[in-house]
Amino acid sequence: MTTVLLLLLLAVGAYLVAVIEAWTTSGRLRLAAPLLAGIALLGRESIVPRKPDQVFFEVAPVLLLISAILAAAVVPLTPDLIITDLATGALFINAALVYVLVALLMAGWGPDGAYAMIGGWRFLGQLIAYAMLIVMPITAVVMRAESLLTTQVVVSQAGLWNIVYQPLGFVLFFIASMALAFLPPFDLTTSKGELAGGVEAEYTGVRLAIFRLGRLALIITLAAATVVFYLGGWQGPLLPPWAWSAIKILVVTATMLLAGRYMPRIREADLLAWCWMFGIPLALLNIFIVGVLVLVFP
Amino acid sequence: MFFIGFFGLAAVWFGIVVFRTFSMVRSALALLFSQTALGAMFLSMQAEFLGVLQIMMMATEMSIMAIFMVMFMMDPGGLGEMDMTHQKRLSLGAGIVSFVAAVAVAVFVDWGPVATVVPDAAQQTIDLGLELLGRSMLIFETAGITILTAMIAATAVAIQPGANSTTSHRRRPVSTNNPLDSGMRRNDER
Repeated sequence: MTTVLLLLLLAVGAYLVAVIEAWTTSGRLRLAAPLLAGIALLGRESIVPRKPDQVFFEVAPVLLLISAILAAAVVPLTPDLIITDLATGALFINAALVYVLVALLMAGWGPDGAYAMIGGWRFLGQLIAYAMLIVMPITAVVMRAESLLTTQVVVSQAGLWNIVYQPLGFVLFFIASMALAFLPPFDLTTSKGELAGGVEAEYTGVRLAIFRLGRLALIITLAAATVVFYLGGWQGPLLPPWAWSAIKILVVTATMLLAGRYMPRIREADLLAWCWMFGIPLALLNIFIVGVLVLVFP
Repeated sequence: MFFIGFFGLAAVWFGIVVFRTFSMVRSALALLFSQTALGAMFLSMQAEFLGVLQIMMMATEMSIMAIFMVMFMMDPGGLGEMDMTHQKRLSLGAGIVSFVAAVAVAVFVDWGPVATVVPDAAQQTIDLGLELLGRSMLIFETAGITILTAMIAATAVAIQPGANSTTSHRRRPVSTNNPLDSGMRRNDER
């Protein structure tokens, strides 16, 4: 029952992401637009390019959606509203999200098109930049909670949210999760202007609809993970826990989508250089600071 | 038991697929799914941390391996159906010997009594952490450094000196390192 409810909530969340994304780009709030766009996509012919790698081409959009859903499975909205409270939850999120990369590589290689392939390999480069900045801040979060249980991570923030306790980790994780969700300014892999949509370029119809749904689910999952790791999850005064989770997740989503709108797309080489020269040392510093704090003020 | 057998067979099957395809990317991803099946075997043996870790690490590693294979192979898409195997008898012999050795280790080593009670997943994580930072630290660090050295050495051996180097003055007239170019040309050829 909880699983069905959470999957429904994930679908609603993905829909709201689409509404907010259109709002941040066009400035108009149109609630029905994603529904109409979805119906239009479903009605369109689903073209298969010449000589595709059939398996990859078909599997990629589904795999993207599945990895987003699996990651969402260990994100709690209230103490009880979670699909499975795994003892290795904080690690499991990483494991599920890595398959976003596999899906995008497949989507890039599968159609046998130049733009798609460049987009796919670009995401691999992007992973080498952002991966450590996802894992290392989570390590620091887990160090404070002394548990990999995501519910325990939320409970550990009862006195002070992690955004205050480890602001450095929050900033790094926030940027890295934008890169993971290939949101602007990190949308190198699906860039509209230079790659004609990149990995999306060869997809049409139903397959594109699933791909886009997977991307939306990924964004809302990452926003929910940010809330759980840094913003105290369901905690807050007056309102019930689910309401706090919902409000925080939507605010984080809107911030992610808005932040990218005001920045130019970042070049691959610059992203890699900055992440490795500044990001990883800062993430290590964050782990060190949190380690000292945990030891000094247990 | 059923799941262990199922994922075991899946791992073996994907391992076979690695050598049955001509496409380097398919080959790398088949190896990934073989390793993922091994991770699922860990999960069905209730070793949660090891299973999740295996599933996570392999995805990145195999994807990176895919790009290395695409970079260094002459026919990464397998469209030319070029035979990339060589020294067949030697590798067959080496394969059989290592298979027999692995089976012998599995059968003849005294593994001690089988655990009747499995510690819960959180306890396993704690035990594993203490083990990795204690008794097994040296082994893991050595293995890590060895793999890194092997990767750097393999890359260094595979690069043709001066062929694609941007700093070299003896640059070849036709540059093939622009993926857009080669992609376009490949389409035209068909």
